[in-house]
Amino acid sequence: MTELIHSLLTPFQYDYMLRAIWVSALIGGTCGFLSSFVTLKGWSLMGDALSHAVVPGVAVAYILGLPFALGAFVAGLLAAGTMAFIKARSRIREDATIGIVFTAYFALGLLLISLFPARVDLKVILLGNILGISDPDIEQVIAISAVTLLVLGFKWKDLMLFCFDASQARTLGLRPVLLHVTLLALLAATAVAALQAVGACLVVAMLITPGATAYLLTDRFGKMLWLSSGIGVASSLVGAYASYYVNGATGGCIVTLQTLVFIAAFIFAPKHGILASKRRARSAEAVPSP
Amino acid sequence: MTEFFEPLYNATMRDALLVGTMVATMCAVLSCFLILKGWSLMGDAISHAVLPGIVLAYIAGLPLSIGAFGAGLFCAVSTGFIKQNSRIKEDTVMGVVFTGLFAFGLVLFSRTTSDMHLDHILVGNILGITHSQVWQTLGLGGVVLGVTLALRRDLLLICFDPGQARVMALPDRLLNYLLLGLLSLAIVVSLQAVGIILVVAMLVTPGSIAHLWTDRFDRMLGIAAAAAVSSTVAGIFISYHIDGSTGACIVLVQALLFVASLLFAPKYGIVRTRTVAAK
Repeated sequence: MTELIHSLLTPFQYDYMLRAIWVSALIGGTCGFLSSFVTLKGWSLMGDALSHAVVPGVAVAYILGLPFALGAFVAGLLAAGTMAFIKARSRIREDATIGIVFTAYFALGLLLISLFPARVDLKVILLGNILGISDPDIEQVIAISAVTLLVLGFKWKDLMLFCFDASQARTLGLRPVLLHVTLLALLAATAVAALQAVGACLVVAMLITPGATAYLLTDRFGKMLWLSSGIGVASSLVGAYASYYVNGATGGCIVTLQTLVFIAAFIFAPKHGILASKRRARSAEAVPSP
Repeated sequence: MTEFFEPLYNATMRDALLVGTMVATMCAVLSCFLILKGWSLMGDAISHAVLPGIVLAYIAGLPLSIGAFGAGLFCAVSTGFIKQNSRIKEDTVMGVVFTGLFAFGLVLFSRTTSDMHLDHILVGNILGITHSQVWQTLGLGGVVLGVTLALRRDLLLICFDPGQARVMALPDRLLNYLLLGLLSLAIVVSLQAVGIILVVAMLVTPGSIAHLWTDRFDRMLGIAAAAAVSSTVAGIFISYHIDGSTGACIVLVQALLFVASLLFAPKYGIVRTRTVAAK
């Protein structure tokens, strides 16, 4: 028994594990908070696209020795701008536009990495490397999370209204364009932070799965925010801890956990789960209709 | 000039050109259906979801393409199931499902010792293709291309006008699944050439380019295939000379063609619509 406890506590003996665990939790919480807005607004594809589109920015930043967050953020906003331009000026559908733009940006990043292999590691960008995160990178993650949480904390009601009903927001005297750009900028910023934890391929999970899970559990937006942030923090904590036992696939562990939580909610959620709706359907049959 | 054509004297490069042309044609033809149906995201989701299938097939000693195909179909079917049985929007469900499968694949991969390179699965390695893989790609690609072209009228109808297809008593459910199956198979075939992440580009961009040039579907198929094949050949040549990632070069040439079409296409290009508006 003591042996089991001992082996369960081993990850905590390592400094890099402790750091990975709390940084993941911070990123998970920030992304989880934002994910409520993203799922509500239907921007899932946007999250996926931005997380791939930041790659050339990261590559350029590493090659030039600049902070990676800066390069990534600029590339993300440029990609969002390109998408908006093509969507407004052509007959191509929005989803196809997003697909074309993000793959082109990603390909540019990939080309840069293949030309300067010594400066950037492709695997780190694609799959994240939270176990080996450097101090300056941690500072950037903290800065991004602080700004995101502050903006969301102060403006969540306006943003919520905008996500639910943009035209209603306009009638109430809010500025939808400004809110749109704010949300997009926050999305790009958190995508950059999440890139560190889980890598470009899985960022989108951090940005939608907690929100989608919370949406199955409650009808009230305030509660949904707490739930999605909580799920983000908890799954990242446990996932980072568990990754000690699976050769450091931290991103894979975190997102697998989040998906399991989602599946549990999908089946067992008190009101919107499939068991509940089956029960409802059965009791509706049992009552003879007049 | 002979220097530019140097790759043609190299057997590896000739294989790469052959496989690239096949993959480009097949994906281009499918992309015309996908962008009309609004399934661009579906290609992205299925391509990521094949990862656990590949790893499981490796563990079980089966051909990797069977595992990949199974996982791709599983992704499509479970997305449909969750969407029907919950109140979550389809694009969100798709995101949750494909990232979940991809993450599971990563965990599995880190628990198995193998000589597979994760980078090659993710971004492709067309220059490392073996001779038996060349034949497999050509064979499977030919099947996908043949079935798609043979059924193009029916497939077009379910993409363009599902209501009309039902009125005409077409088996629309079956055709939807068939299109999904063709898509999964095409992704499996393309993985070696361009990898999980960039296969989406092959499945979206050529169709979009063609969509800017013409309103007639048969012409669209031809233009898409021509655009894809020429950018693949050009991309392979460029990557040889600058020593950069092949998949990235192919996708970038394609993106440049898209930008050129966006600006200068005769009917729907920005320059043209501008002059029309000015008049």
